[in-house]
Parts: sequence; structure tokens; C-alpha cells
Amino acid sequence: MIPDISVLIAGEAGDGILFTGNVLAKVLKRHGWEALTCRDFPSNIRGEASSYIVRASHRPLLARPDRVDVILAFDCQRCRQFIRHIKPGGIVLCDGEEEAPCGQHPPTKFSFYRFHMRRAARENFGNELVKNMIVLGGLGYLFGLDRAVLDQVITEIFQRRKGRAAVDTNLQAIALGTKIAQGLVPQEKRLAIEHRPKDGRLVLSGDEAIAFGALAAGCRFFAAYPICPASEIWQWLVRQFPEFRGLVVQTADELAALNMALGAAYAGARAMTSTSGPGGSLMMEAFSLAGMAEIPVVIAHVQRVGPGTGIPTKTEQSDVTQWVFGGHGEFPRIILAPGTLQECFDFTVAAFNLAERYQCPVVVLTEEDMGQNLRTTPEFGLKRVAIDRGRLLSEQELAGLPEYKRYAFTPDGISPRSLPSQKGGLHMVEGNEHDESGFREETADNRVRMMQKRMRKLDSAGPELPASVIWGEPGAKLGLITAGSALGAVLEARDELLAKGLEARVLQVRTLWPFPTREVQEFLGGLEQAFVVENNFSGQLQTLILSRVSSSLPLKGVRDYSSQPFAPADVVRAVLGGRS
Amino acid sequence: MTNKQDFQLGRPTWCRGCGLYGILEALKRAAAALALDPENLVMVTGIGCHGRMNSYFRAYAFHGLHGRVLPVASGIKLVNPRLTVMGVSGDGDAYSIGMGHFVHTVRKNIGLTLVVVDNRIYGLTQGQASPTSGLGFQSISTPFGSKEYALDGLKLALAAGASFISRGFSGEVGHLAGLLQKAIGHRGFSLVEVLSPCVTHNPVNTYDWFRSRLLKAEDEPGYDPGDKAKAWVLLHGEGLPMGLVYQQEKPAYEDMVLEGFELPLAQADLRPDTARLEKVMEKFR
Repeated sequence: MIPDISVLIAGEAGDGILFTGNVLAKVLKRHGWEALTCRDFPSNIRGEASSYIVRASHRPLLARPDRVDVILAFDCQRCRQFIRHIKPGGIVLCDGEEEAPCGQHPPTKFSFYRFHMRRAARENFGNELVKNMIVLGGLGYLFGLDRAVLDQVITEIFQRRKGRAAVDTNLQAIALGTKIAQGLVPQEKRLAIEHRPKDGRLVLSGDEAIAFGALAAGCRFFAAYPICPASEIWQWLVRQFPEFRGLVVQTADELAALNMALGAAYAGARAMTSTSGPGGSLMMEAFSLAGMAEIPVVIAHVQRVGPGTGIPTKTEQSDVTQWVFGGHGEFPRIILAPGTLQECFDFTVAAFNLAERYQCPVVVLTEEDMGQNLRTTPEFGLKRVAIDRGRLLSEQELAGLPEYKRYAFTPDGISPRSLPSQKGGLHMVEGNEHDESGFREETADNRVRMMQKRMRKLDSAGPELPASVIWGEPGAKLGLITAGSALGAVLEARDELLAKGLEARVLQVRTLWPFPTREVQEFLGGLEQAFVVENNFSGQLQTLILSRVSSSLPLKGVRDYSSQPFAPADVVRAVLGGRS
Repeated sequence: MTNKQDFQLGRPTWCRGCGLYGILEALKRAAAALALDPENLVMVTGIGCHGRMNSYFRAYAFHGLHGRVLPVASGIKLVNPRLTVMGVSGDGDAYSIGMGHFVHTVRKNIGLTLVVVDNRIYGLTQGQASPTSGLGFQSISTPFGSKEYALDGLKLALAAGASFISRGFSGEVGHLAGLLQKAIGHRGFSLVEVLSPCVTHNPVNTYDWFRSRLLKAEDEPGYDPGDKAKAWVLLHGEGLPMGLVYQQEKPAYEDMVLEGFELPLAQADLRPDTARLEKVMEKFR
């Protein structure tokens, strides 16, 4: 049995549950555990139901749990709303004032306690805000956490922001929370975890991993417009940039964001923007320009629930075809889909190199689940980061040319770039169809040659693109294909299926475009049944596969468009139900 | 030193008599007078007849999308403030599809010069009414006369906090070249709107029509381009004011956000500073 614990913190937006969960995740990480969080927040600041799950295990890849060991509720209404998620034998703590327990799910036996953190905060500290510290103290007791680790994390956070007095108050509140929980829950009912040796792992969100990747890759210009759930990328960068000499510009809209990034990239900087949902729609115009004008730019798109304004704070994988097929006209683009934090970092670094090498837009496509939730990861290999700026001409090289042509026809379609201010490199970047020198040229003959030049740039890119990964039993006849943040749930589902005696292999598609036709074709080749697991209604990944792979094997879709990331149990149920 | 010929490129194919010829000539004169170097000058153009400008003006050039001149130009300027960056846009480009960018670039006071070629019509698409077409203007898109009030980019720029507002006329090349020189020399955002007749599609706003209405700010007794109240009054008076309407000294955006940066971002050393990155990674432990 792999040790696995989970807690769901339930309350209203504004209760501070995000902070509480994030601290808990970091503390669990420092106990040597793998942590993962799952937020389910409304898209407003106060008043509506929010829940935040923190899960920890010894195993490296995780997904949202189906049921949790502990529920900690800030009020009875929220407690009743989420109590169905409790595991048999679990513990429910609720701060509400009602006398009766908040719920009794007949088939589920759990222990219920009134945990009055607000009252304790008011009576002992005259300040209700420290209730979250009392919660952390209580959870620390339930999970047998090392108080020194918890106190250290709180000290690190508050020493800098608020000073020593605030640290002391918070530590006292933690002690009080521990004491209250001790008085409620008997020792033997606790889910005490072992403290494993300290290691070098990290705990962060996908948005932060992408931002860090950009920083390491030499991104020094970032233009973006605020949007959930992508803003954390540049809000993290804006704090690092003074030291690294970079600039974040908050633009008036996403049209300006991508166009500004294009201007910066054209002038020689490594430039990026980030967005989600409707922002991606607004960027389609400039995305297409980047393709035509052959400007290297990186776009991080963190998918949220659509269409329209959708559900801005929740997860979906429904912008896949928009980025793969979108933008007017046809042009080369690279779409990468990281499934882990390591890949968020690595693919962002790769995105800058690929963009400059192939002079085309590169999209790092994630989801709210990956972007905003915390996960643990081995530390990033900073020494492995290499910068490849592609074919940039020096002034000496320019001086040696009889005539510089920005869009020169070359065997691989890639034409060397010059940058403004370089002697001998004058040229026009042109969004109209153009000749080799960049001047507008609309003849059919030139059009055909230019289209072929642009479109063949990626013919040789294959080996440089992240290859698909196969996980699991080589001889298995059952296959699961997935991409992005759905990977965690699919890998756990594979383990659960194996426990039920069913062997499965998993294919993680990591480059969505150019589509890895051969890899998918080969994977399907050995199978008797295949499922495509994705967070959307219409099966966008499946559509890609069907359009690029010829296989007689019928594909079955496992789809969730509920706005929640998959839980492994969802995938297992769908696979078992779909086998006939 | 440079001279006009250094900016010479190709042969324009605009309609004979188009106001753009005068603007091209004025741009070359201004660039030469300021001894600009074509390789350190970037011209970004929008979509419209004006968009051909960088086919005839020798410099680094970016001809992108309709309405998106200013964000592209801003990106270029911010990563390399040593460049002279100039946008050339039309009345449809700047004041219709690109209006959001116009107001916010003005407000940010990013150090570039925007030339808005105002012919009061969409010429390239065969003559639809534009935001600067007058009430009642008849065109292929408004055969029964426009029911929209015209927009005045200068008033808008003044209200949005522009630090350099001017208007020239295609028919007065010398005067326009002088304005362009001042505008390019200005720190922060500078607007040069140029009234520029479309001889093919706009039979109303002709050279004579403009000439009979234009009045120069510098000819107004006691006019002071540093006085915002006077500029407001001038823009709301009779006739079509031209010349330097308003100028104010204030820090440009790049002066503030790039303060202390030794090198332009475009020339930064991108080799990963592993020690510094390790320190950043510590925050995630």
C-alpha cells in the first residue's frame, strides 16, 4: 500500500484557503513527500464556495483524488456541500456553529468534530485572520507533521513580509491549533506520516515553472494582458526581472501583447506573451503575422473552460485545435504540451530555441490544472540550459554578402536574420506576401515558392521536438493516449487497472504540432483497444489523431468537460465501462 | 552627416497627386536634417496606401497588420531605445481599428513618432468613410451620407496626455519636414497628423478644401505650445489648426522602466547566469 494522504479545505472565496493549502503543500514537500494541490475556486474574490485539495504521497506523479482523508470546512454550508468526498473512516472538522454534525452520508462512516478556529482566533488573539494558522496547527497534528518544519515555513513567509512580531503571533496560533486538535481527535485516529530524508525537490505551479523556464532561457521582454489563469507567469517574472534586467509590459489588450512581443523579437530580444481563453482568440491575428513574417515568438497559453468567458478559474483542454489549426492562412507553428513541471520548464526553454531556429511562433500549451495547482518536482537542471539563437548574422557576415535578403530561398527554408541597427542588414519584414528581399510580391509563381519555403522549415524539426513518451507494459493490448495535465490521472489509472489485472500502456503526446504521426501510428499498431483521454467535449486530441494517423483501430474517447481535472477513478471507470 | 538620397528607395506607385508623395519627401528631409542613420531607424507601417511608405524609404522596416503599428513599434523601441522608431499609420489604421493602441501608447508616453496620414477615407479598399470623414460624407459605404460625427485625433491625444501633438499638411512639405524634425527629437511619444488628400476617392477634402481652412498655431498671436488650455481652445475653435499644437516635457516610459539598464534588452547577454538562477530556484524549496 503506497502511503497517500489528502485533505480538502472548504470555505468561501476570501477565507484564505489558498494560502493554507499552499503552506501545507510546502510543509509536506519538506517532509520528503510528493505533494499536489487541486483548486476549485469561483471566478470572484469573495462569497462563493471554494475548495482546495492537498494530496501527498511517496509516488512522483499524482492527480486529483476521488475521495479525501480529511475535510476541513470553514462553515456548515460548505461542509455539507463537500462532505460526500470523505473517505470511509475519514475525519471531518467544521468551524460551523450548528449543533448537529454537518452530514451523515449513510454508507460512509467518518468522524466529525467541531473545530472552532475563528472563535479561538478571536478569543486568544483578538484577530480572526490567524484562523488559518490555527487550521495549519490542527492539520499538523492530524498528519503528525514536524512542528519545526511548519514553523520554519511560516517564519520564512512572514519574517520578510511582516516582521518578527507577526511571526510570533502566527507560531502561537499554530501551537493553539495543535492543542485544540489534540483535545478533539484521539492519537490513534490520526494519519501521521513519516518524515523522510530531506531532498532537493521543489514545490511550485506550472505557471511558475514556465516563468522560470523563460527566465533561464533568456527571455527579457514579456508583454501581456491580465487573464486567469495565466497572469501568474508574468507576475512571477516581473519580480525577478529587475535583477535579470528584463521588462514586463502590461498592455491594453491581447492584440497589443502579441504584436508588442513580435516587435521586440524582431528587434532582437527573446520575447514572450501569455494568455488564456478569449485572449488566445484575440492573438490569432498576430499569431498568423508571426508565421508570415517569420518572427520567433513564444506564447504560453494556459487553457481554461470555454467558450465565451466560460469559467475563467477552472480547467479544460479545449483550445488545442485553436492553436494547431487557428490563425488565418497556413503557416508553420510548433505547439508543445507539457505534462509535468519538469516539462513546463524544459519545454519553455526549448520553445525559445525552436522559435529562433525555425523563425516561427511556438506555443507552450497548458491548462489551469497545470498552471495554477502546486506540484513537486525534482529540481530543474539549470546547467543543461543551452541557448540557440538560430541563424543570426553578424555584421562581418553581412558585409561578406553581395546582397542581404531577409527571406532568401534556402534548401531548408530557413533564411538568416539580421537585426535593426546592424550594418548591411537593412530589410523589410512584411506581413503581405513578399519576395526574398521582403518587398510585396503577389505573383502566383512567387507565392508558391514562398509558401513552400515557409512550410518546409519544420520538415527537419522532428528530432528537435519533444518526442512522445510511452509508459507501462510493452505487451499490453490496451492503450491510453493523452496529453498535458491529464497525464497524472491517466498514469494513476494505469496502476489501478493493473491492480485489477488489466495491463495498459500510456502514450503521452508531448508535441501537438507538427503532429507526431509516426509515434502515434506505431503505438496504435500493437494494440487491440485504445482510449484517448482528454478534458474537453469534442475530443480535440482525438480529432488530431484521426486527421494525421491512419489506423483501423477504433478510438474511444474518455472525456471530461465538467471543469474539473480527471481523477484516476474517472479514467478507470470509463475504461472499464468502455470495454465490451 | 546624411542627406536625403540616403533614404531613397524604389519608385512610388501612389496615384499621381496623392498627398503621400509630400509626406515621403518631408520624411526624407527631416531624417537628413537630423543626420539619422538608416540602419538605426525603424519604420513600422500599417495597412492602407500609407503602408507602402517603407517600400520607398530606406530604413529597417516592418509592415505588419492593419491597426497594429503602435504595439509593434513599442516593442522595438523598448528593447532597443537607441533606435529611432517611427510609425506611419492612416486614419483608419490609427483612429479606427488601432484606436485602443493609440490611446494607450499616448498614455504610456513611449518614445516614438507616429505619423497619421489622414485622408478622411479608406483609399486602399476603394473609398469607404473613415472615422475622420465628416457628417454627411458620401462614399461607397455611406451612399446616403454618413450619420457619424468625425473624430479629431489631436483632441483625443491631448485628453489622453500626449506630450507632443502636431498637425501638418501634405501640401506644405517644408513646414511638415520641420514638424517631423521636432517630433523625432522629442523625448516621449510624438504625434504628427498629416492632412493628406486622396485624389482618387475623396472629391470633398481636396488640397484647396484643406488650404482654405488651415490656420497655423504659430501664427496665432501669443500662442504657447506649452499651454494646455490654449491648445484646448485652439483645437475647439474655427478652422483646422496645424503646426505644433502642444508639447510637454515629461519622462518617457522607457526612461522609467529601463532606468539603469546598461545595454538594450535586444543586446543582452543571454548566457544563463546559473548561480543567480540557483538562488531564484531556492524560493521553490
